[in-house]
Amino acid sequence: MRGFLPPVLLAAASLLAAPLPAPTALRAQAAPAPATATPAPSAPAARPVQRAAPGARVSDEKQEKLRERVAAVRRDPNATPLPPNEQITVGARTVPAGSRVEGTVATAQGRLDVFGQVGGDAVAIDGDVVIHPGALVEGNAFSVGGEVRAEGGMVLGELRTLQGAVGALPAATTEAPRMSTSRALKLAAAWLAVLIVIGIGVLVAAGEYLDGVIHTLERSFSRAFAIGIAGQLAALPVLVLGVVALAITVLGILLIPFAVVAFALALAGLITLGFLGVASVTGRWIRPVPRGAIISERGAALRALVFGICAYLALWVVAAAFTWHPLAGGLLRAIAFAITWVATTAGLGAAILSRAGSRREAPPLAPAAPPDEDLSWMTPTPVTGVVAARRPTPVSLREPR
Amino acid sequence: MTAPDRRALLVAVAALALGAAPAGAQTWRTLDVSRQLHDSGALQVKVQYGAGRLDLHAAATRVLYDMRLRYDAERTEPLHAFTQNPRVLRLGVRKQNVKVPSDRNPAEMRLDLADAVPMELSLELGAVEADLDLTRLRLHRLDVRTNASEATLRFDSPNPEPMTSMRLDVGAASLKALRLANANAEEISVDAGVGNVDLDFGGEWRRDMSVDVEVSLGVAHLRVPSDVGVRVEVRKALGSFEHDGLEKRDGAYYSENWDTARHRLRIRAEATLGKVEVEHR
Repeated sequence: MRGFLPPVLLAAASLLAAPLPAPTALRAQAAPAPATATPAPSAPAARPVQRAAPGARVSDEKQEKLRERVAAVRRDPNATPLPPNEQITVGARTVPAGSRVEGTVATAQGRLDVFGQVGGDAVAIDGDVVIHPGALVEGNAFSVGGEVRAEGGMVLGELRTLQGAVGALPAATTEAPRMSTSRALKLAAAWLAVLIVIGIGVLVAAGEYLDGVIHTLERSFSRAFAIGIAGQLAALPVLVLGVVALAITVLGILLIPFAVVAFALALAGLITLGFLGVASVTGRWIRPVPRGAIISERGAALRALVFGICAYLALWVVAAAFTWHPLAGGLLRAIAFAITWVATTAGLGAAILSRAGSRREAPPLAPAAPPDEDLSWMTPTPVTGVVAARRPTPVSLREPR
Repeated sequence: MTAPDRRALLVAVAALALGAAPAGAQTWRTLDVSRQLHDSGALQVKVQYGAGRLDLHAAATRVLYDMRLRYDAERTEPLHAFTQNPRVLRLGVRKQNVKVPSDRNPAEMRLDLADAVPMELSLELGAVEADLDLTRLRLHRLDVRTNASEATLRFDSPNPEPMTSMRLDVGAASLKALRLANANAEEISVDAGVGNVDLDFGGEWRRDMSVDVEVSLGVAHLRVPSDVGVRVEVRKALGSFEHDGLEKRDGAYYSENWDTARHRLRIRAEATLGKVEVEHR
């Protein structure tokens, strides 16, 4: 019996045109005539807007769902403005011929038949709006989950039907859409994974070049940073100059698209290589290999690289975790961006200085050792080629006979 | 690291990357908006649509417009605005992120426009597969701009209004315009960009026409009925011009029937690394 009652109550509620109850009310009430229905002057007999029989009970769950549904429609930017909940009836509703309703007529879970005149919008939530011959709707005719049918009547506004999900549109605001926290976290994690994969690939396939960049960074970080800034500033002019140079020659024009793509790829490669170099240096610094640990050179390099990448991406993960808070999230993103920019710039400079890791700066020559005092009297003597002079002896000084 | 360990690492990283990729959550909705036709005053119609499929036709019923839009609410915002003074109608999608539309779940727009209202029609399309059937519409101005669209535009019956201006701006895609003589346009301007344009000048000729074609790296193919006289002026910069049966005299190419033809088509073509083809049959 208990299982049978709710459907009966729901059906009863949907059949009756009762106003949407207040949040605390548990029963459907008689419609308080939200929009006044007055007979048109020419109408001989006008029936009032259909009202619900009082006392019909609507379950709490039903009311709550209905309120949520109406609230969702209210938030939808494609919906017409709805009247207050107290003025939205539940169930089928009719605007009789010869009558006029000022303002918007709205009903939920039922069909709205318009035979007379509506001064505002005619709205049905989960029901059809039917504009019968002779009817006039001065606003829009709007149906959610049903359809609008103009069967001879006139609608001065728009006939609008909305199907599918209803509610606020995340991307529909005119402001820039804000990324959700979970999505920002996923994005940061994806970048972490991608950079680790790229780093492992570079370490395996181009480890020597990465070592060259690391070597340059360790020797002169500040110089690499300055060169990196210069490289960023010069990138566009260099590209433009290259394009102009190609455009001067007739055949070069054809090469311009390829040159632009090649330049972009080369720049991206340098930036990536440089960033991985900085990450390696950072990884070695924040997590050096413990003394006495037995680890191969390649293993140590991988360890440093992964720790370094994680260190930089951790900044972005933290910033992503605060996406829900505009101020904190923005501040953390700015910090992460600044640190990443410094790292990327220094890495780019190091990649440029080391010619993508192929050239290492030779260590400066050690100052020449002072000559040993004991041997200072000696002069270098060629081993071959020059016959050493003989020292004069008493025998050689004698007169020939 | 052993081979199985490496494989496990790769699988783990791939799984992480896949799992971490932004979910392609889409909220698909259908919006149907229309407006009854109450008068036949001239109207300016501006349609913008970023990605998906677009079908444009003349309305079969007495409506000013009827737009049925299937869209992803997370990426797009429907546009339907009508102002009485001036009479301007804006339809389509206001904002659409650049994204390759899914074949399984494509965005769609079907638009019916009143055939009783003289209108200036402006279409701005992004990556759209468009079928623009302008038959029966009363167009006195047409402006079509496409970026990466594959569009077919056709006039199956003569335009009741003389069209003062018709401009087709193709970015990097293809546009096929069929039975252009029915457009009833005096001047047509075509910028083929780096795309392919196929212009068919079939249909009912009511007046002489002139067409300006600019091609950059693309191909413009013009098909002209044999009973129409053709004159072509071409400027080439590493481009090419192909024709069949045209004679060159006084710096231009003429068809044999130029002097006797009832209607004439003047073509001014400029090809920069592109190709212009004129087929006169």
